[in-house]
Parts: sequence; C-alpha cells; structure tokens
Amino acid sequence: MAFEGVCHLLANLVEYCNSSETSYDFAEDEAFNSEIEMSNFMDANIHVRDAIFDKYSKGYAPESHMGEGSSSLVHASTSLHDFDEGIFKAEDNPDCLRSRWQLEAYLNQQADILEKDPSLVPLNSFNATMSQLQALAPELHRVQFLQYLNALTHDDYIAALDNLHRYFDYSAGMQGIFSRSSSSFQDIIVGKYESALLCLGNLHCYFGHPKKALEAFTEAVRVSQMNNDDSCLAYILGAISNLLSKIGMSSTIGTIGSPYSLGNNIGLGTPLSIQQQLLVLLKRSLKRADTLKLTSLVSFDHLSLAKFDLKHVQRPLVSFGPNAYTKLRTCPADVCKNLRLSSHVLTDFGVDGLSASSDNGSFSTSWLRNLSAASNSWCSSSTKSRKVLTNDFDNFHFHAQPSPIPAAVLQLAGSAYLLRATAWEHYGSAPMVRMNSLVYATCFADAASSSELSLAYVKLIQHLAAFKGYSAAFSALKLAEEKFPSTANSHIQLLKMQLLHERALHRGQLKIAQQICDEFGVLSSSVSGVDIELKTEASLRHARTLLAAKQFSQAANVANSLFSTCYKYNMQVENANVLLLLAEIHKNSDNAVLGLPYALASQSFCKSFNLDLLEASATLTLAELWLALGSTHAKRALSLACQSLPMILGHGGMELRARAHIVLAKCHLSDPKFKVTEDPCSVLDPLNQAVEDLQVLEYHEMAAEAYYLKALVYNNLGKLDEREEAAASFREHTIALENPYNEADSLSY
Amino acid sequence: MAEEQMEEASTAAAATPFQLQFDKPIPFQIKMAEWNPEKDLLAMVTDDSKVLLHRFNWQRLWTVSPGKCITSICWSPDGKIVALGTEDGLILLHDVENGKMLRRIKSHDVAIVCLNWAEDEPQSKTDKDGLLSYEDRTTRFFPPAPVVPRIGGLSSGDTCLGDENEESIQEFSSASCQRFNILCSGDKDGCICFSIFGIFPVGKININEVPIHVQSSGSKASYRLQDASISKVSLSGNLHKLVLLCSGKLIDIDNISHSNDISGGLHCLHLDTSIFFNRKNELHQVSQQASSIQYLVEVVRASISMMAKQWSGAMNLFNEKFSVLPSLITAHGMESSSEDEFMSLLFGTRTSPALHQFLVSSLGEAALKRIAKSVDSAGRELRVVVSEHLQPAVEIISFRLAELRGLARWRSRFQNIGLDEKLIDGVTERIGMLVVQVERFSRVTATVLYLFQNFFSWVLKCVKILLSEPTDQVPAANSEFVVLFLKFLLDKDPIKQLLDADQRFECHLDTAKHLEQLVVLGGFTDTHFLERSLMKQFNELEESLKEAFSMPFTTISSQIHCQALLPLYPITSLVDLSSTCNLTSVSFYKDEDSQHSGPSYRLTDYICFKIPDGSLNLRNCIGVIKDFSNSSTSTPSLSGFLLRIPDEYECVDLSLYKDSQIVVLLSERSCSDNPGRSYIVMLQTENFSFVPLSKIFPSNIYSIQELAALELQLDTDYGKVRSVPHAVSTPLAVSASRGVACVFSSRRHALVYILDEDEDEDEDEVSDME
Repeated sequence: MAFEGVCHLLANLVEYCNSSETSYDFAEDEAFNSEIEMSNFMDANIHVRDAIFDKYSKGYAPESHMGEGSSSLVHASTSLHDFDEGIFKAEDNPDCLRSRWQLEAYLNQQADILEKDPSLVPLNSFNATMSQLQALAPELHRVQFLQYLNALTHDDYIAALDNLHRYFDYSAGMQGIFSRSSSSFQDIIVGKYESALLCLGNLHCYFGHPKKALEAFTEAVRVSQMNNDDSCLAYILGAISNLLSKIGMSSTIGTIGSPYSLGNNIGLGTPLSIQQQLLVLLKRSLKRADTLKLTSLVSFDHLSLAKFDLKHVQRPLVSFGPNAYTKLRTCPADVCKNLRLSSHVLTDFGVDGLSASSDNGSFSTSWLRNLSAASNSWCSSSTKSRKVLTNDFDNFHFHAQPSPIPAAVLQLAGSAYLLRATAWEHYGSAPMVRMNSLVYATCFADAASSSELSLAYVKLIQHLAAFKGYSAAFSALKLAEEKFPSTANSHIQLLKMQLLHERALHRGQLKIAQQICDEFGVLSSSVSGVDIELKTEASLRHARTLLAAKQFSQAANVANSLFSTCYKYNMQVENANVLLLLAEIHKNSDNAVLGLPYALASQSFCKSFNLDLLEASATLTLAELWLALGSTHAKRALSLACQSLPMILGHGGMELRARAHIVLAKCHLSDPKFKVTEDPCSVLDPLNQAVEDLQVLEYHEMAAEAYYLKALVYNNLGKLDEREEAAASFREHTIALENPYNEADSLSY
Repeated sequence: MAEEQMEEASTAAAATPFQLQFDKPIPFQIKMAEWNPEKDLLAMVTDDSKVLLHRFNWQRLWTVSPGKCITSICWSPDGKIVALGTEDGLILLHDVENGKMLRRIKSHDVAIVCLNWAEDEPQSKTDKDGLLSYEDRTTRFFPPAPVVPRIGGLSSGDTCLGDENEESIQEFSSASCQRFNILCSGDKDGCICFSIFGIFPVGKININEVPIHVQSSGSKASYRLQDASISKVSLSGNLHKLVLLCSGKLIDIDNISHSNDISGGLHCLHLDTSIFFNRKNELHQVSQQASSIQYLVEVVRASISMMAKQWSGAMNLFNEKFSVLPSLITAHGMESSSEDEFMSLLFGTRTSPALHQFLVSSLGEAALKRIAKSVDSAGRELRVVVSEHLQPAVEIISFRLAELRGLARWRSRFQNIGLDEKLIDGVTERIGMLVVQVERFSRVTATVLYLFQNFFSWVLKCVKILLSEPTDQVPAANSEFVVLFLKFLLDKDPIKQLLDADQRFECHLDTAKHLEQLVVLGGFTDTHFLERSLMKQFNELEESLKEAFSMPFTTISSQIHCQALLPLYPITSLVDLSSTCNLTSVSFYKDEDSQHSGPSYRLTDYICFKIPDGSLNLRNCIGVIKDFSNSSTSTPSLSGFLLRIPDEYECVDLSLYKDSQIVVLLSERSCSDNPGRSYIVMLQTENFSFVPLSKIFPSNIYSIQELAALELQLDTDYGKVRSVPHAVSTPLAVSASRGVACVFSSRRHALVYILDEDEDEDEDEVSDME
C-alpha cells in the first residue's frame, strides 16, 4: 500500500476531493500545508512585536496535512502508539503484528506530533526509526515524506531536499494500488510532477530562496495549466501569494517580474507593484477555489485577504479619468468581512462534503472498511480512554468523541480568531484583543499547533503586562513556559525578552536593556530581506534604549536607518511607529520644532491605516511637543491631549494612560490662565491616577515626574503635609532611577 | 368645492391674513394632529386610534392602526420617526417612510398623556466639550449589523411569531443617532420617562415622590404633589431644564394638616435636567452603544429561538419515525435496544426481523429521504443563522461592549452618569464566554450534521440492500462515524441541549484544568462556564447587561431635581381636569436680546393656558406666563398677563407659535343650530405688557389671579385675525418651521392656513404643486 492511498484518503477527509484524479490529492494536500503554514505565518507576521516566527510558523506547518489524516484515524493511531497488543489480538492476524493501516496510523500520529510541536521530535532518533521502518516496508513512501518534514522542521536543507526528491522519485510509479479506474497512469505521473514542484516551491520558500521557489511555482503553474489541473492551480496561486506576502514585500528584491510576469497575465501592459500582484493572485486563487469548492483554500484565501487588507490600501488596478476615486485608507470592514467568510469553513463543514466524498468513493475502499470494522469492537473502550487523551475543549460528553472535523479545518477556523486579535491590536481595542485570544486559547487548544497556541498565550500575557503590570505578566509567563517547555519556542522566548526589556527600561536599568537588545539582534538571520519583522523590532528597541540613555543623535540615526528599511520593504504600519519614535527622540532632545513634522506624519499614517491607538498616542506626543514650545501653546496642547483621551484611557496600557494623565496635568499647569486654587481637581485627579498606574509599572522616571507635579500643586494650594509626602515619593523614585538596584535579579523574575 | 374655496381664498388673500391653502374633507374624527418638524407632513390620530400621515397636498402616505388607544403623539426632531403614546403605557416608534413600527418600548404603566422629543441644539456647547472627540468606530470597523433572521420558505406555517419579532425591532439607522436627542414622556400617574434617541431609557421620575423645595420667604419648606397627573412636558432645546404642567394636590410634607387651602389644581413645575446638558457627550456615547447592543441582543435571541424551532422541527420528524423501532423490537419479543440492532446490522452479523421490518416497511426509502432532507435543510438554516446572524451579532456586541468598557475606565467623566466599570467588566466577561459558547455550538452543529448526513446515507444504503436494489447511487458512508452516531446521537440531541436554558453539562477534568490555567493568563474567572448551555449563557449576559444599564438609569434619575413650583389655578373637580388640561402650550424661545454674545444664548419659557371657567373666579380667560424656569436673579424673572376672551367666543385650542406668538382658535358660541363661525387669532406677545409675578412660595399660589384681565378685542392691534366659516374643534396643529396651521371643522373638514405671509417662496412652491 502506497502513500497515494493515504494521500487520497487524507484529501478526502479534508474535503478536497472534487477532482477525480488521484494526482491532485497530493497537490491539494501539500498546498494545504502551505495554507496552514501561511495562516500561521500570517498571524505571527502581522504581530509587530513577534517578528521572529517565520521559521517556526513555516516549520511546523507542512506536517499538518498528515495531521489531518490522523484525526480520523485516531483509534488506530492511539492503539498503535500504546502498543497495546491486548487490544489487537482479538481481531488482528496474530502472524502479522501490525497491519498496514496500523502503520499508516502510526505515521499519521507522528505527523501529528511533528505538527503540534516539532521540537518534541528529535531529528536523529526519528530518522533512525523511519529508516528502520523503511527497511522493513520499502513500499511505504510516506516514511520519506515524514523524513522530509522532519528535516524541514530541523532546518536541514540538504536532507529535506534529498528526502523530497526521493519521495517523489520512488513513489511516482507506485500509485497503482489504490488508483481508481478513472485516472490513467499518465495523469498520475503528470499530476505528481505538479505536486512535486509545489512541494519544492514550498521548501525553497521556507528556506528563504524566493527565486528558486518562484521558479518551481512557475513551472508548476505551467504544468498544471497544460493539464487543465484547476484545483492544483488554485493551490499554486495560493502558494505564490504566500511567497509574495512573505518575502516579496521589498520592491528591491526584484525576483518576481521576469520569470512569472503577472502583468502580462492580467493583460495590462504596466508592471504591477508587488502588493498589487499579491492582491490579484489572492483574488484569483479565491475565485478558483470558490468555483472548485475547495472550502479550506477559500478560507485560507479569505484569511490572506484579511491580512492584506489589514496592512495595505487596496488600490484599484485601473484608475484613470477624473471619476476614478481612490480612497487612500485601509478598509477595516473588509477585514472583518473576510474573517467572517473564512470562519465559514467550520460552519459550512460538510455542507456538500459527503456527496463529494462519495463521488470519489474513497470511503468505500476496503482499506477503510477494514479499519472501521476492526475499530468498532473496541470503540467504546477506546473512546473512554480517548476522553482523557485529547480534546481538552469540548469534552462536553458528546463532543469528546473523535470528530469528523479534521484538525486542519479547526485550525483554519481558529486562525480567524488569532488574526482578529492581531487586527484589534492594530485598530486599538484592548478588550477585543484579549477576548479573541482567549476564545482561541479556550476553543482551539485541542487543534492548534503549539506555535499558534503560544501566540495566543503571548497576546494574553502582553495584555496582562500592559494592564496589570509586570508581576502578573511574569507569573503568567512562567506558566506558559511550563506549558511550552521547549526552549526553541520562539514566541514565548521573544515575549520574555520583550517583557524584560520593557521592564529594564522602566526601571532605568539601561545596561540590561542594552544586553537584551543585543540578544534580539542575534536572533534574526543575517541574510537581508529575511526576518524583517524581527530586525525591525530589534532596531526599534535599540533606538528606545539609546533614547533612554539620552544618546539622542545615535538613537536618531538608528531610527532613521530603520525608517529607510521599512520604507524599502513597504512596511507602512511600522513606519508610523518609527516616525513616532523619531518625534519622541526630538522631543526628548529639546528639539520640539524638529519633532513636530514627524509626529504629524505619524499621525497621518495612522489615520490612513486606521491605527487608532497609535494615532492617539501620536496626538499625545504632538501635544507634548506643543507644550514644549512654550506656555502660549498650552491651550492647543490641551485640546490635542483631550482629543486623544477617549482612545488612550479606553484602550491604552497603563504606561500610555499615565503619560496622558501627566500631559493633561502639565497642560493645565502651564496654561497661564489656569489657577490651581480654583480647580485643583482637574490637575490632581489625573496625577493621582497616573501615580497609581506608574507604581504598578515601576516606571521610576515618570513616577518621579508625577510626584514632582503633585508636590508643585500642593505647594500652590498650601497643603504642606501633602506636599512633603509627594516630595518624599519623588525623591524615592529619583534615587531608584539613579541607582538601579541589584542588576542580577533583573533578568530573572 | 375645495377649488372654489381656493379661489375665494386667493382673491381674498390680500385682505385677510392667513391664506387658506385648502379645505379637504376628511372621513375621520381627528383627535390629535402634529406637523413634522422637517417636512411638510401632517400626522393625525383619529378617534379610533388610526394614524394617518398626509403630505402637504393632502396626499395620504400611509395609515397604520396599532390596535391600541393612542393618547399622545410627537415627532422626532429630525422628522424621521413618529412616536405614539398609548393608553397602556407603551411608546411606539414608527418610521416616517412607511409607517412600519421600529420599536415598542414599555416604560409606563398607564396612559402616556404627553410626549416631547427635544434635540440638543448644536450651538449649545460648553467650552470643554468642544475639545473632546468621541467617535463611534463601529461603522468603520464592521459591515452593517446583522438583522433579525427570517424564517426560510420551508416552514411557513409558524411564521407569526417570527413576524412579530421582526416587526418589533429594526436596526435604527445610525443617522438618527447623529445628534443627541431625548424623548420625554409623561403619564397619567405622574411619571416622566426620559429616553435617549427614544430607545435608550436613561431616567424616570415620579412627580408624586419628588420632594419640591419651594423658595419661601423665610424657612425652606418642602412639598409634595399627590395624585399628580402630567398634562404637558417640554424640554428646553439645550436640555437644561424641563417645564411640566401637572395637576394634583399639593401637600406639605412637614405639616400635612396645613395643606387644605391649596388642594387640587394645575401646577407648573421646573425640573433641573442639567445632567443631560452637562454630560450629553458621554450620554450620547453610552446610549449609542447601549441601544445598539440592545438591538443586537434581540437579534441573538431571535436567532437562538429560530434555531431551536428549526431544529426541533426536524428532530420531531426524525424521532417520530425512528421511535417506531423500539416498539417493533418488543413486538418481536426481543430485548435489545435500537442501538444494538443497528450495530449488528453495521457489523454485518445479522439483520433482525424487527429492524428489517422497520427499515423496509415502516420507514421505507421515501420517508428516509424525507427525513434526511428535512434534517439537512434544518442544518442549512442553522448554519446560515449561525454565520450570518449569530456570530456577527455577537462579534459586534463584543466590540461595542469593549468600547463601553473603554469609556467606563474614564472614571472622572463617566462615573457620574452611572457607567460602572465593574459592571461593564462583568458584561465583557460574559460576552467573551458567549463567543466561546457560540463557537462550541457551531462546532457541535457541524459535527452533528455531518454525522446525521453520514448516518442517513448508511441507512439508505442498507434499505437498498435489503430491497436488493442497486446501491451505486447512494453515497458511501463512513462506518466509524455511523458508530459514533449510534452511540451518541440516536437517543440524544446535543444541539437541542445547547439551545435549552436548563441544561447543564459535565465539564471534563482536563477542560476545567485548562480553563483554570487560562485564569492566570487573564482568562475568564468563571471557569465553569462551559457547563452552561448556550441559551443559559445568553440569559446571563442579558441579565448582567440589564444590571449594567440600569446603573445609568438610576444614577441619572436621581440627579433630576425639582427646581421650582408655580400653582397656576385650582381645579375643583376631576371632570374639569380631563377637559381643560389639553388647552395648554409650553414652549421655549430663544431670547434674542440676551446680553450674552456668541454661541451661548438663553432660552425663555412661555407657558400659555386656558383657565377653566369658574376657577379663580374668572371666565373665559387665557393666562400667559414667561420666564418661569429662569432661576437666575439678575435677568427678568417670572411675569405674565391674563387675557379675557369676549363672552360670545369660546377658546377651542391654543398654541404657542414661532417667535413668541400665540395662536388661538376661537369659535362663536352659537345659540341656535346654524353653524357658527370660528376665528384664528395670532397674538404677538410683545404687544402685551408682562406683569412681574412673585416667585416666593406662599404668595405665588395662583398669583395669576392678581393680574387684571385684558379684554381681547378681535379687531385690535394685538394680532391678526382670520375668520373660518365653520365651527371648529380641537386639535389645532401649528407648524412653526413651515408656518402653517391646520384646523379641523366639526363637519370633518381639514383646513390648512398659511400663517406666515412673508414666506413667499413657500406659497409659490405650493401653488406650483397644485
């Protein structure tokens, strides 16, 4: 029995089997990997702070197609895994210890594990097992595929390539066992070729060879067009758009264009920008997938579109004439629509699925009958044990049963929630971020891969850090580290560094901050154009550290070069961030006039990308800058600060809130018309609130400022006792800032 | 006849004021009429409580009969909604476009006597508010909100309930929430309710329970009204104050025996509603979010109930057919269960005679297909409802709640309108749980439907095999899932359980542990929420929403105080009360010659009322007072005049109009049968001298009687007079914005007069239309 049968089965399980040829199944399967991969990647990627995840999100994803299979073969796989001979003896042929389907199930299970947490699988021992298996059962080609995946997750390029080649070379002619009458030998060979190319493209994509990947994809497109292989084409389009979104963002890379000239495909003479190409590809892939009813691909395409809409302005392809109206803003409602559509993959599961599977007749294969017949007798006992094993959501008595919904579908449905959380991070709605991550962590914990789940955890912990302070965040982080013990889990690692860095900055422990910054820099790959998000964050943090160290010109230099990088790679959202940072740098270096244009630019960026919270903080910075220009501008500063208040107080973290409160108080105090004695509350209230928040954050510098202002106010009011109290607190914080205590413990928590 | 009169009117236009626009017969007795403030539309309520909407050219737009006795009517300030108060205390909001009912709000227990819908005027801004910018971000981030699901074509039999739901709630267009406005309603028992946009209740006060601190000369005395009944409410344009007229007995709280001298009468009260003015931005935000949430909650409720109905329909059919099997099994003298029988069929061991009989004869292929189809179509409906209605609604609710939560964190501004951080936090938690529940529901639904599908195709196949028919047309079934179905779905219905409020589920240990872990990460603190069903979770959400929204309600209610009291005239009997109270009119005019420059201005209240004959020993008198609610001491304060109408006329109705004018409708007292004539009189208040009245308590009781009554002569310079060749009846509908008045003759004619001759454009336009 060859892997084709399995692939075939897999494909059916995921409802891909609209085509009547075996050959597609693999292609679909593989493309599906890329889907998952992409969706994961996407979530990770968007998240500004978690830039590093490229590798891991790519890494675990390819396995998922096998994982899909395993969910339906659970009985088999668990039983095999347990090596519980007792269960089998009754039905099994005693001569043959493990039947083929058991082996398949074992492979599926391994794939599942690989997919859930690649770091759990040691490279070499796994390979050894696989080689052994292969020696025993040379006709099991999937073993090679598993090896390929394993190599992929462990970043072994050569082994991965080798195994992939071997897999396709060996298996190409072996499909005969389960081939249906409809598919001729030739078809299968050809179909295999496309799938192989697709896999190869994904491999290259994963290892960051966009040129080679594109070549493979282009070839795949050519072949599948030649063979009228529509569904494969849809998947390839999806894969290409994934490639584009991942690495094609830099207009200078220039890999696209020549080999696969999209411009010609569309019939427009003008070359399109990368984003436009991406959009066109996505839309086309979506259309194809829609007509072919590839629900998972549809869902994936919707997710990608949502991701695209989140960060990019959709420009019309053709716009001329006076009436061509271009709205230069992103459209959040589209994001929402796409996300909703993408989660239809779950609600619409099986709408016409059963009929599709019957067309293929795959469930009627004797193979599967054997499986179910054998599994039935011990089904009841097994389900009981299963309850304990899996499904930590929904084991609400009915649902603990093996679900016909494959994990892949659940993952897709779940990524919609993760992407929602990310989108709300951008748009500025803290409770929505929390809620969506929480829904993900609650509902999809069973299906999610460790990387995705840890991303949800990361978002939750970040929320905690921003709203409850560091101690809560660190205790949660500890739990998350227990849950994801592998040191390689980049999300958690990165989060830890972020939190430590921020805390060090707040406490004024600059050396530690710098140390963490350096670690950040090491994390990213040295190849240009790879790990861009991570690099961006690293230099952003570097600039922040410099700013805190009052090395303004260096900070400005870093920020400027960062800006040009972001500009080069068309990362508009990050641009807004960098511009704001530049404005801050100028503000702190007493160069308010220079800072104004940066703040304004950042504000307008935020407006057009609907980054409400960032816009509010840009407005706040603007207010600070005006305030720095002298007391004549106090009124303007006040009005700006007030504008930003609803957003900041509603959705900003504690630091931002405290800052806003202090700015508000300062605006009042520097307004020559304002008399403290008349309205002490309008100054003291915000200051008290700010102090409250800053205490939790241990943000000494700002706390000192707040206490200073408080002391001033009390002095004006003639309340001497309170004044002394505030002054003492001020002193405390200043001392703490100047003598950062016990540096050793600052890296622990 | 109408045309004749038209001509007559146009020829006489030069001589007589108030050109007659037209005179049309109307086949109803009209009891209330109100002009739309924005468009030339006249809404009328007939004696049998039909509501008619006519255009200015008397074309009828629509008629609705709400089936309840309508006791009051008013328009929304933007003219898009007409509000009707009913005898049983309902406020009905109808769309101007088609007369469709938008909302039905129950805020009173007894007849709503008067309605007043006031809009915040854009000029009345305080300095600080200008700085704050609030935005409702929902429209930017979400596609239009989902609507209440409609029942698909299949089960048309039981649509009545759905229809009712659908009628009772419609999404308010966000345009109508652009500007802050408040609908006040007063009822017969002395309760006044305030609702923002007419839909979000923000306050309720009972006049009978409000202590009235009066400005008396020396000591402060507090009084109370007993058996109060509101007859008129009017909220000033800047929402600062409310003037209301109500009848009732004034009681001295401290000294009850003392209160005999001033018993029942009509009183004028000034309520301080400055909370609306001071916090209007915040209230606007909160009510905008809250009213939308309330609507979406209705959507969720309707979705859930519809799903329950759809699913139980399909399940009834299924159970009805499959419940035959156990009895057949017992009939064949076996003791096994249906599940066992199916299992043995699945494993191919044997087909028991009972099962054979069931599948082949009592079920049959056609019935099986029918059941499969009905389950399938119910499943489709469920999917559509979940993905088109339930999920989007829940998503938008959660966003709006997140916004509210953001607002609630701004304690200094929002705490004093009662937006409680803790309560809103609780609701936010609940909506998060609801999202999880919806997610679980959709997953369970997908699984169950798939298993059903699988099972049916398996049974179909079996039937075909038993009938020895070819089976190649039947989709193949996964036998593993058939087992699952037999084990878990044959006699259980998880979808129904989730939609049932009383169900509890056992939560598995692992789940509980997982949830507890999430608490550390900031998860839901209530870790047992998965034990609840979807419906139960929804009910809890609703409860906590109610609690959270009742906070602003009570907080604001407690901040509305009675500021001043002025007894107008005594009423001797209750009979008088009902007949005369309607003849009052309260309005606010902008004080033109106010010393404040710029955007701020002062609003002066005018109260105009007919004094019932005999009261205060006066006959046929009209009283006019102004500046009653003006509490400042520097500016001119309470003053008024009294007008005596000649004995041969009787005041039918009166109304304040435009810039301090009064329109009075008089009819000749006809002693014989011949139809008397009537007169429309417009009086300029500037032509009368207002005499200052005392505001200090004991002396202001019925102080109007101290005024000397001026004799009104119909040919004097006090104003313009136009005679109407009919005996007229109430009501008189005057439109200040359009400058027209509509009177109704006793012979069922409606006559529309143009009150403002200067508005030439208007007339031209109208004559063009004609």
